[in-house]
Order: sequence, then structure tokens, then C-alpha cells
Amino acid sequence: MTTKQEIEILIVEDNPNDAEMAIRALKKNNLTNNVLVVEDGEQALDFIFSRGKFTDRKGMTHPKIVLLDLKLPKIDGLEVLKVIKENQETKIIPVVVLTSSKEERDIIESYNLGANSYIVKPVDFDKFVDAVKDLGLYWLLLNQFPN
Amino acid sequence: MDLNNSHEMQARWTRFSMILASCIPLICFLIPLNAQSSSGEPFTNRRDTIYIAAEPDYPPWSMVDENGNPDGLSVELFLAAAEAAGLTVDAKTGIWNIIMQDLAEGRIDALPLVGRTPDREAIFDFSMPYSSLHGAIFVNKKSHGIQTLEDLHDKQVLVMRGDNAEEFVRRADISEKIITTNTYEEAFNMLSRGEGDAVISQRITGILLLRQLNIRNVKPLDMHLPEFKQDFCFAVKKGDEELLKRLNEGLSIIIANNSFGEIRKRWLGNISDREITPAELLRWSLYIFIPLIILTSLLWIIILRRHVRKRTARLKEEISQHEKTVSELHHKQGLLSESEEQIRLLLNSTAEGIYGIDTDGNCTFINKSAMDALLITGQEQAIGKNMHGLIHHSKSDGSHYDIEECNILNAFKLGKGVHSNNEKLWRMDGTGFDAEYFSHPIRIDNEVKGAVVTFWDITVSKREREELKKIRNKLEEEVEERTSELKEKVNILNNNQKAMLYMVEDLNRITAELKTERKKLQESNRELEAFTYSVSHDLRAPLRAINGFSKFLLEDYSELLDEEGKRYINTIRDNATKMDQLITDMLNLSRVSKSELKPIKTDIYSLANEVYDEVASGDQKDEFEFIIEKIPPVNCDHGLMKQVWQNLIENALKYSAKSETHRIEISAKEGKSDVTYFIRDYGAGFNPRYKHKLFGLFQRLHSGDDFEGNGVGLAIIQRIIQRHEGEVGADGNPEKGAIFWFRLPKE
Repeated sequence: MTTKQEIEILIVEDNPNDAEMAIRALKKNNLTNNVLVVEDGEQALDFIFSRGKFTDRKGMTHPKIVLLDLKLPKIDGLEVLKVIKENQETKIIPVVVLTSSKEERDIIESYNLGANSYIVKPVDFDKFVDAVKDLGLYWLLLNQFPN
Repeated sequence: MDLNNSHEMQARWTRFSMILASCIPLICFLIPLNAQSSSGEPFTNRRDTIYIAAEPDYPPWSMVDENGNPDGLSVELFLAAAEAAGLTVDAKTGIWNIIMQDLAEGRIDALPLVGRTPDREAIFDFSMPYSSLHGAIFVNKKSHGIQTLEDLHDKQVLVMRGDNAEEFVRRADISEKIITTNTYEEAFNMLSRGEGDAVISQRITGILLLRQLNIRNVKPLDMHLPEFKQDFCFAVKKGDEELLKRLNEGLSIIIANNSFGEIRKRWLGNISDREITPAELLRWSLYIFIPLIILTSLLWIIILRRHVRKRTARLKEEISQHEKTVSELHHKQGLLSESEEQIRLLLNSTAEGIYGIDTDGNCTFINKSAMDALLITGQEQAIGKNMHGLIHHSKSDGSHYDIEECNILNAFKLGKGVHSNNEKLWRMDGTGFDAEYFSHPIRIDNEVKGAVVTFWDITVSKREREELKKIRNKLEEEVEERTSELKEKVNILNNNQKAMLYMVEDLNRITAELKTERKKLQESNRELEAFTYSVSHDLRAPLRAINGFSKFLLEDYSELLDEEGKRYINTIRDNATKMDQLITDMLNLSRVSKSELKPIKTDIYSLANEVYDEVASGDQKDEFEFIIEKIPPVNCDHGLMKQVWQNLIENALKYSAKSETHRIEISAKEGKSDVTYFIRDYGAGFNPRYKHKLFGLFQRLHSGDDFEGNGVGLAIIQRIIQRHEGEVGADGNPEKGAIFWFRLPKE
């Protein structure tokens, strides 16, 4: 998939297995169009702000939703969330935090920084599919962007 | 007053324009640079008509004229600056909140009046400031309680919604009760009616608005709000550099051709904002105080001079009076020396015995007191007699006192006065008395002619002295005794002090050791926390992959697997899920151990009911008899106590599943200082022989096939109860059910 296409779903996940599962969960909910996986926080921000290897995306629309892992190489998920939500232009992008941790401080911190949802990645894949369905769908389909 | 103000305004204005004028070359220098840097941007087409909006009631900066068009200092400045920059402006009015939003979202191009704040810098770009203002607190004239900013803390403070006054009161946490209004007009009307305690706004804006609304019962406090200072600028949408550049250029032009000054003067010319800078204060004090000090000094010198003159005259008079007195005294002395009789009278009137002797020791005169003391009845008994032989013949012990040794006669033998207080003088009847005497040589023309002896009876005082001496000796003895006692005590104390010092040393050492240990503990706590965090993230990821990919195998390749193969995969998935549960429980246990206790009075009766409601499934509620007595509340951490009851009730439900009797009973026993809670079931029970293993981590008394579980639940209960300084225990028999209990202190 080239980055020149419009990207609807951006998955920020360094574990390829988790990323594959997330894509499969989306597929189960018929949401496979234009998904891009980036492996660290730096790439995620480069993508959002059209810089680095994503410079050619300048002027293209923002993704409709970002699925964001918290534990990431280089720039961690909370920092990525903070940067997206502090910027006037990007703060309207729905960000769903996806993490294996049920740590209360992570949940509270994520919501403080403006996360739109928080999904604890369950070990049971079926539950994961349900969670993606409940929250991902909501933000993707029900939440229309102001044009 | 008006004259002063206009002078002051003009001075300040001159300074301000100087600063602005000095900025112009800099701006001119920057303009080509900006043009160069923005030439690569897509939007280089020059806009010639721009849309702006102004708020209707922020006098004199922004308001509407009689025709409903935007008006005011800021609006006029903006129009002038835009015209100078070759821009046509379409201006409308609107409520502040809405027009701010309009600019942020690009529906209009600029706002003429925006106070620059850090919050707003994120949304807008600002032109150079064209005015700086200070805020003020406005209060109702009847209220007296508000003097400082701190007084507002529990007061109702009114501000316009979205105004930077609101940002200021929220940022500086001025009050807990902030009321926001749509306009400042509304805020001042409310304050005037007595709703709310204070309005915070720009001083000038407030004063003008009050005048315009004809409100007389509201006044600004004479107090500065240094934190609420405001630079007024034009604002454009963030990133609209082209427009900003042109507006700055326009501003520079109207400053340079002085139309800026005229506009400003027209709107602000006759308004007092009552602000005086420290420099102006200093200048005023120089004008007033220096002449005042010089005048006072002159007056003081005149008064001092007059005072000195008066003093000199009085002193002269006193000196002449003194001279007169001295001459009078001389005269009187002459008279006295002439009268020997008078001396005799004097001698006889004194209480001391006095007699005179010649160089042979014979009496030349004797006074009345001496005669009385010695029982001499007539002068003739003494005059001419040897006084040593007459009254000084024996020593104190009664032995003979040789005249050659006589101390009294030493006065003229040695030529100087002698004194004694340990000899006796003897009366005519043979009795003696202790006497003290002085014997002084009489000199005539520097030749010793005899001596005069003055004496008095010291029998009484000597006796008193001796008594005193005795008392003193006794006292000294006592003092000595006490001193030695004290010394002993001091010794003991010294020893104690030494012991104390050793103890303090020990304590210091122990404290230092404790500190090190604590540091180590904190270190290991930190490590533990990092470990748990890592476990909760990293250990789960492989489990997720095992479970997820096994599932994919089932979904995508099910036709290649027979039933046994599918069972294997399901077993893999079950185990991954179990391990996840195990990790969850362990994390739970560690959270229970490290979370901070927040004890509050907790209604255990409601809590247990609530937990049963949540934990028991619909079927279980139909099958089970849940009996709970009215049990007392206790002080404990609500969240942790809920966890305890969750584990206990879950256990009771689980272990009763295969039994005939489905009943859970909860009761309590209140002691003097503690409460014990019991939960009883009629389930599988346990062998009391293994009671001690019940609360151990990962310890199970039933196989996983009979009852699922991993042996963490009871360990968590024990940890929670121990953290509350309580006790936990259980009794039971196989197939007869179990009673679990825990005891918590009331305090």
C-alpha cells in the first residue's frame, strides 16, 4: 500500500503479531480499506504531520481513526497522543488507545491527554474482535468529520 | 486635574510611540525576509477584501455606533491600518465567544481587538501590540469585605465568558465561584443589582461601561493586578502570515504619519485610568518634597537661634546668683569660727563619745556622751587625768594593759589615725564594755599636739555580729553539705548524660542504617513496579499471539484438522487464557500490596449485598438462599474491602455448586475494639488438617478438575486484612461447608 492513497485507519503498533491481529479484527468487521501500520511513535507523528518519509502526503486528509499502542519504540504512545491532541489541526482525529495494560495510571493518563477510547487488548481474540467492533466502528462510522 | 492627566497621557504616549517607531526599521527589515520565505507557500495571491468582526460592548475599544455598525478605538485603528496597507475591510459585530470561534475556524480573517495570552497564541497569530492595559476589580460600593485579591477566594466573581479575565481568574485560581456572562454589560448590571460580589475586567473598559450604563453604585478598587496585564493586538488565524505582515505594515504606517496618535487621543483623551507609574510617583515627590524640606529646615534654624539666645541670658543670671551665694557662705563661716561655744555645743550634741588628750595622754576635753558612757559625773573627774589609766587600763581578757603598748596613743606616736573595734573601755564603776574607736592626731602648725578620740559602745552590735557569725558558720556548713549532695547529683547526671550521648550516637547510627535500608527498599519497590508494568505489557503479548494465531488456525485451516487436532488447538487456547488470568491475579495481588490505604467508614451490610448482586448470576440467585444479618459498619478502605467480599462470595458460590444445600450466611460479632465478620457456606468444605495452607499463594485444596481456580484469591484477602491490621481465618470439614472469618479493629 503506498502512502499516497488516502489512509482511513492508522495502526501504531510495534508488535507485528498484534498488528496482524488488529488488521484481522478490522477485517472481521469489514473495515479493511486503507489501513496503514507504522511501527513506532516517530513514524506515527511523521505520518500525521506529513514529514520525514511521509512528506509527499502534504495536503491529504487525516486518517479517520488512529489505533495507538502505548508501549512503542522511540516516542511512546502517550507522547504521540499528547502531540496529536495539543495541535489545533490534528486534535479532532479520534485516537483509540490499544494496550495490553490495565494499569489505572495508563488509563487515566490517556483520557487526560484526550484519548477518545481505550481498549485493553484481551488475550481472547474473539473479545478483541468485539472490542474493535464496539469502539472502532463507533469512531469510524458514527463520528463524521466537520467538512 | 484634567491638565495633569492629559499631560501624563501625552508623556506616556510619546514613550510608546518612540518604542513603536524604533520597531519600524526592524519591521521593514523583516518584511522582505518574510516575503522570501513565504514565496514558496501555495497562497501568495493578494487578498484585497478581508472580513473582520468586533464585539459590541468593550468600550472604548470595541462597540457599535447609533447605526449598529462596529465602532471604537480598535475598530478605527484596524480600518486605518488596513487602508494604509491597501486592504478593504468588511466589518460586522458579534458576541465575543462566537467571533473568536469564527476566526479560529476561518470564517473571518481577523479580529481588531484581542488580548494576547499564552492560550490564545496557540490558536491565533498576533500583530504588534497597540496598547497595554491593566485589569481591575470592580465591587459594589456597599461591600466592604474585599480589599485584596485573596479576599475573592470565597466570593462570587463575574467575568465575561471567553474573555481573558476569565482565563486569568481560572489560571490564577482567584475564586471557587466564577460566574460567566455573555457580555460585560450583563456582568455590571448583575453586580449593581447585588448579584455576585465582584467583576474583573479591564479598568478603562469597566469605567466607561459603568458611565455608559449610568451605574453609580459600582466602583473599581485602587489596586493593581500585575498578573492581569493585557497587550491588545490585532489577531489573525494561526499561520496567516501574509495578512499579519500587511496589518503590521499598516500599523507602522499610521504610527509614522501620526494618525494612530490622533485616533487614540480621540477615544482615550479624557479618561482617567488612575494608573501612576513608580517613576512618575518619584518625580512628583521630588517636585513637592524637596522645597518642603528646604522650607522646614530654614524655619528650624530660626527657631533654634532664638532658643540659644534665651538660654544664654538665663545662664548669665544663674552665674551671678551663684557668686552671691558663695560670698554669703564665706561670711557665715567667719561668724561660726568665732564661736567656740558653738563648737562645744556641737560636740556635746553628738551621740559618739569624744575626748581630747595631749601628748602625755592627759585629758584636755571630754564631751557629754563620753561622760555618760563612762559614768563620769563631772568634767573635773577627767580633765588633766591620764585617760589610759582612767578608762583603758585593762585588755579585753581583764589583764593589765601597759601604757607603752596603748593603741590610742599610737595616733600621735605614728602621726596618723588609728582604729580598733576589739578592745574594751572601762567605766568608773569598774565594769567594761566593748568599744570601737578612732584616734586622730591633732596638729597645730604641722606639729602634733595631741589626739582626739571618738568612741561608741558596740556591745550590742558585737553580740549580734557573733550571733550572725554563728549563723553564718551554720549556713556555711549547710551549704557545704548541700554542695556535696549537688556534686554527687551532678556526677550522676554527668554519667546519665554520657549514657544519653552514647544512646544518641547509637540512635544516629541506627537512623542512618534505617535511611540506607529505606533507600534500598524504595529502590526495590521501584524495580518491582517496573517489573509489574513490564509483566502486564510484555508477558501478555506472546499469550495474545498464541491464542490469536491458534484461533486463526482453527478458522482458516479447520478442514485440514481432525477432531483431535482441533482439541489440541483449543487446549493451547485455554491454557493461554488461564495464564492470562494468572497474570491478572498476580498483578492484582501486587496492586493490593502497594496501593495506598484510604480508610473510611464503610457500610459492610450494603457492600456485601451489592457484591452478591454483581457476582451471582441470574441462575445462582434463583438457586441460592442469601441470608445476611444486620452487620455493623467499620473503618476500612472501601475498594479493598469490596475485593475481599468479591473473593469470599465468589468462593462460597463456586464451592457450593456441586452440593445439595445452596445457602450463604453472612453474620458479624462486635467486640470492644474490633468487629469479626463471618461468611458460611454448605459446599465442598475442606480438610481442617490443611487449614494452614489455605491462605498461601498458589495453594489449592481442590483439584482444578473439581473446582477451577489458581490459589490467589484467599492470598489477596489475607494481604488486604493484614494491611488493615486485622486477622483472617477459616474452619471447615469436607462436604460440610466452610466458615471464613476476618476481624478488623474499629479504629
